[in-house]
Amino acid sequence: MAAISSEVNTSSAATAAPTSKLLVVLTPLPSEALEATLGRLSLAFIGNNITVSTPDLGAEAAKSLGQDFANLEIVSDDLTAPPPSGWLLSAADFVSLYKTLQEHDAAACLLLGPEAQTLRVEAMRALASAISSGGDLAVPRYATGSREGLVNSALLYPVSRAIFGGQPRFPLAVDLGLSRRMAEKLATVAQRFTAANQNDALIWPIAEACASGYSVTEVDAGARTLPQPAGGDLNAVLAQVGASLFAMIETNAAFWQRSRVGGGRQVTKSLAAPGDLPDVEPMIDSFRVAYKNLQEIWSLVLPPNSLLALKRLSQAPADGFRMGDSLWARIVYDFILAYRLRTINRGHLLGALTPLYLAWVASHFLLARTGVDPEVHIEEMARIFESDKAYLVSRWRWPDRFNP
Amino acid sequence: MANIALFLQQTYQEPASDPTAGYVPSSGQSIWQHMGVALHDSMYRMLSFFSRLLPSLLALILAIAILTAIGALLAFVLKRILVALKFDERLAKNRSADITSSIQDWAPSHSPTVLVVRTAFWLCVVLGFVVGISAFDASYSSASRMSSFLLPYLTHSVGAIILLLVGNIVARFLARSVLIGAVNAKLAYARFLSLGVKWMVLVLTAAMVLDHLGVGGNIVELAFGILFGGIVLTLSLAVGLGSKEIVTRSLERSGDKLPPRPMDIPVKPSEQLRHF
Repeated sequence: MAAISSEVNTSSAATAAPTSKLLVVLTPLPSEALEATLGRLSLAFIGNNITVSTPDLGAEAAKSLGQDFANLEIVSDDLTAPPPSGWLLSAADFVSLYKTLQEHDAAACLLLGPEAQTLRVEAMRALASAISSGGDLAVPRYATGSREGLVNSALLYPVSRAIFGGQPRFPLAVDLGLSRRMAEKLATVAQRFTAANQNDALIWPIAEACASGYSVTEVDAGARTLPQPAGGDLNAVLAQVGASLFAMIETNAAFWQRSRVGGGRQVTKSLAAPGDLPDVEPMIDSFRVAYKNLQEIWSLVLPPNSLLALKRLSQAPADGFRMGDSLWARIVYDFILAYRLRTINRGHLLGALTPLYLAWVASHFLLARTGVDPEVHIEEMARIFESDKAYLVSRWRWPDRFNP
Repeated sequence: MANIALFLQQTYQEPASDPTAGYVPSSGQSIWQHMGVALHDSMYRMLSFFSRLLPSLLALILAIAILTAIGALLAFVLKRILVALKFDERLAKNRSADITSSIQDWAPSHSPTVLVVRTAFWLCVVLGFVVGISAFDASYSSASRMSSFLLPYLTHSVGAIILLLVGNIVARFLARSVLIGAVNAKLAYARFLSLGVKWMVLVLTAAMVLDHLGVGGNIVELAFGILFGGIVLTLSLAVGLGSKEIVTRSLERSGDKLPPRPMDIPVKPSEQLRHF
């Protein structure tokens, strides 16, 4: 059993100056947001000459804007193709990032995603510092409220941590610090998708870094406005992110089956007060409606134990509505297995996950009302995901084995 | 086959072209003789029909058997070649390609190699059927009543079976899609809607199958129209009556008769759930 070679360091905002070979690549931003971002970058790297690549300006406009920020060399790269979606970093972003990196012969780069104007100066500095000091991948840890990033908390973080050993709290962070080799690795992975005209495919930097044995550093980034999907349809976006996550797990099966996970992390207290929690009744109702109608589909995916637990959950009063962490972990693992085995159509599978996710969200908020810090709960759950990984590995290898 | 022909030649003679040739009026024996001739004639026709049918049946069976054997051989060779070429692994490496993912979606046991091999095998079997039926068809004269009656059923039944299978798969897929979509939209009548869609597709499939077989004619069309219309009307009424209040409220609100409901008051950004 080979241990995961990625090492995770959590550091507060570093103050070390980055190297002059640092390149900052921006994704498309509105003009006001672009100016605000450049202002923050200028402030973050006072005394250092930084090259900033943006796809939003022509060469002339970039030159004239560069005069306003003395320490920034603003370049307009035609190589940078506009990303198709714009709320998460996509395959197209990573391909154009590496082309830009090669064009400017930079040793490392910062990739700042949508809404970059809200990223703190200290966070920019900390990401650059982590890369300059020899790290391969620097990932920010955003300070979010208890109502934010729920899919990340319920699914992306615990699964990424349990399966790949990637400790960073935001596996799909929209700002990244990348070494040249890390950028090359991600561009290689991304190119498979862009070659098939899937420019909006999601890339998982932490999983790729862990699988390649590159170092991963997490830095505190403070509060930041996280970009939201257009339309905000939970089903569609959960299907998109879930499908990408499950497909990535399938692709890297050879790695994570051999890897060991473990090791705690420091828990940061949640920003929200316990009273500032949403009404969970609609979510519980949604789960109950789903339980009445989707049993037939769930029974194809979930073992009898889980179905029995869901039955009890559907009958529980709203006050006592608690989805156990181990139940949620099993549900997620069984859905990953069903995705791999194509037990049912993959679109249907991900659609059937939505009500279960809403049940988890309701349960999470109800637990928070009792005084449990949401972040503590998420850490506890991530540990349960880790300890239950053997179940996933076992069923991945022998899917037909009896499973009560 | 040769024995039957010889038997026929020795035992029976070709009946005279004039049906009244053997008829002798006012003779008791001639009636029996006439009946005997008629019976012999029927027997002759029946046996000659079988003598023509048996070779074509044999041809049909042979065509199926030979092409099935060829299919099995082709499948075996293809499997060997694809395994040697590591076809599955190559596809998995290029999994981002659209074509690959769609191949994998249809592949049994998650193996595109098995999909290709099985497709090749079944194509050969179907080809065997087509060749066999052509041979069967060729053995009849175009004027044969049996040929014009039986063969369309035989050939159309293959298409009808395919239609039935596809219809069932589509009905199941659409029913699940509607069920999941409706549940996620929090519709209380999700199952009812899903069942309605399923039966609509099944009824449509049944009508198409019968039409393809040429069974029923106008009755099927009429019955299908009534049944399909009935299902749509039932669903419309059910959904319409179920959402009566929503529609009423919506109409009234458009006339500014009612203040907005609490759920319509915009939620402050700080109170919104942000799943991402």
